[in-house]
Amino acid sequence: MEEFLQNSGFLIVTMVQQSLLAMSLYYPLMAGQLSLASPGFYALGGYTAAIIGTHEFFTPLRESIGWLAFPLEWLVAGVLSAILALIVGIPALRLRGIYLALATIAFVEILRVLCLNLTITGGAIGIFDVPQLFESRWSYIWIFGPLLVMMLFFSYRLEKSRTGRAFQAIREDELAADSMGINPTRYKVLAFVIGAVLAGIVGAMSAPFLNTWNARQGTFDASIAYLAYVLIGGSRSIWGPLLGGAMLSALPEVLRPLKDSRLIINGLVLVFASIYMPKGIAGVISRLKRSLTWKSRKNGGEA
Amino acid sequence: MGTAQFIQNFLNGISIGSVYAIFALGYTLVFSILGIINFAHGAVFTLGAYFTYTLTVGQFGINGLLAGLTIDNHLPFYLAIIIGSTLAGLVGVLLERLAFKPLRSRGGDQLLALVSSLGVALVLVNAIQYLVGAEIYTFPAEVYGTMKPAIMFKVGEQPVVIRTVQVIIFAVCMFVLAILGFLISRTRIGKALQAVAENQATASLLGINVDRIILFTFFLSGFLGGMAGTLVGTSFGIAGPYFGVTYGLKGLAVIVLGGLGSIPGAVLGGMVIGLAEAFVPADYSAYKEAVAFAFLFIILLLRPQGLLGRPMIQKV
Repeated sequence: MEEFLQNSGFLIVTMVQQSLLAMSLYYPLMAGQLSLASPGFYALGGYTAAIIGTHEFFTPLRESIGWLAFPLEWLVAGVLSAILALIVGIPALRLRGIYLALATIAFVEILRVLCLNLTITGGAIGIFDVPQLFESRWSYIWIFGPLLVMMLFFSYRLEKSRTGRAFQAIREDELAADSMGINPTRYKVLAFVIGAVLAGIVGAMSAPFLNTWNARQGTFDASIAYLAYVLIGGSRSIWGPLLGGAMLSALPEVLRPLKDSRLIINGLVLVFASIYMPKGIAGVISRLKRSLTWKSRKNGGEA
Repeated sequence: MGTAQFIQNFLNGISIGSVYAIFALGYTLVFSILGIINFAHGAVFTLGAYFTYTLTVGQFGINGLLAGLTIDNHLPFYLAIIIGSTLAGLVGVLLERLAFKPLRSRGGDQLLALVSSLGVALVLVNAIQYLVGAEIYTFPAEVYGTMKPAIMFKVGEQPVVIRTVQVIIFAVCMFVLAILGFLISRTRIGKALQAVAENQATASLLGINVDRIILFTFFLSGFLGGMAGTLVGTSFGIAGPYFGVTYGLKGLAVIVLGGLGSIPGAVLGGMVIGLAEAFVPADYSAYKEAVAFAFLFIILLLRPQGLLGRPMIQKV
């Protein structure tokens, strides 16, 4: 067991971490908004943690509060992400569909170029030796795991709440929702901010986990990876991003024996999954479940 | 900025801008027909450059499956770029058949087209890496024949230097644009293309084979993408299998700036972004990569339909 955790611990934590990032894209999607901004907020969160953890300006603070610096980093990352999400979200969310997606791609790219050139973010090299919260990689499950459970519970409650229903109403028909007295802009911004805060906090937890942080953490490739997690996992249920994130982030590792051709296979999986599983893995599972219960009912009737 | 510097920046700008324009046209043609963005367009751009390189130089490096391979039959460059772009066009056709058509006929979510085209991009880019490695390949200076590598003239006391490659790129792009303009506005197939872009159902009722027009559009798109890739490759070299990614994203900025689905818009957008990048002061050149995206973000906020696009109608 110990050896298994040594070898696979990093992968398992990564799977949880990627599932969380997939969820950060799922919230705007709940309200029908395709936002690809998550990697931007993830990068912002990571830089926040890395700067608080290494910059000399924060040395007295770190020395006086010790390990409490970590939860403080998460908090600051969450707050900063929320502020930036409001600034970007309020104008950008007037846009719909592909336009919003493009605006968020632009946001991520602009942020990436900034981080690549500013001194405080360490330029192209990035920030090294971010202080560790735990000694082993595997132990990071003790922060990512509870966050995942919390988010699952939160999503479950959200779906049943007034806010969650407003999200769904906007997703189905924005104009209709508007005429029913739901303020679409307010709820769309709210959904966007929830996703941003989650991505920011995950980033702040990831900088110590990965030990270093640089501009490669928030790229267009990452945007697409998270989108693929959600769509392939299933965009209509909270289990979708969870399944998609866990499975797709493990895929390159599983395919590692194929060496160079593994990314080719990875691409083929994306193509086939989007054609043959339009509702995602979660959709396939619920269809299987339905057909099973239907069969057992039928059998019961005959007996 | 002196006059000479201004002229220099302007010439650099329209040269790269013309490449952005023909590359972005490939995006916008597909968007105008299907209303989706083909995210594999950047990969087709890359592929076009490699095709032409193979046909005209045909000498591979030390990595990948084709390591050390040398092809002795060299085509002259003008033939190689035409055949290379045609091959890229055929890849576009394949892309439509493998990634877009199955989704359309199943009536899937439009967002899924995004994922499946990205899947294809991932396959193409990694197939290139698998075959020829991640090395930098450069076209030798002789591909354009025995011309002087640069033209220099003086404005007042200041020299202005234009590389021959830049002039050729601009000329080729203008030539392609002229042919494309003729094709779309003057020929039957071009009119059919416009009709399909306007309304697919009506077009098919009028006896237009919509499926064939879609295939033709993907061919054109791939051809333009491949040609843009080759031209950039001859100017800056092919910087590995991922070199199309940046252009792919910038192309998005170009088409949105000009107006999604608008053909003159793509040309205008390409020129604007090319010029804007050329005029970034040398001290801030590190931020050059962000210029296109700043434009994208701002235009989306101020005028989402783009400079020449039609406004979006909110349907109930």
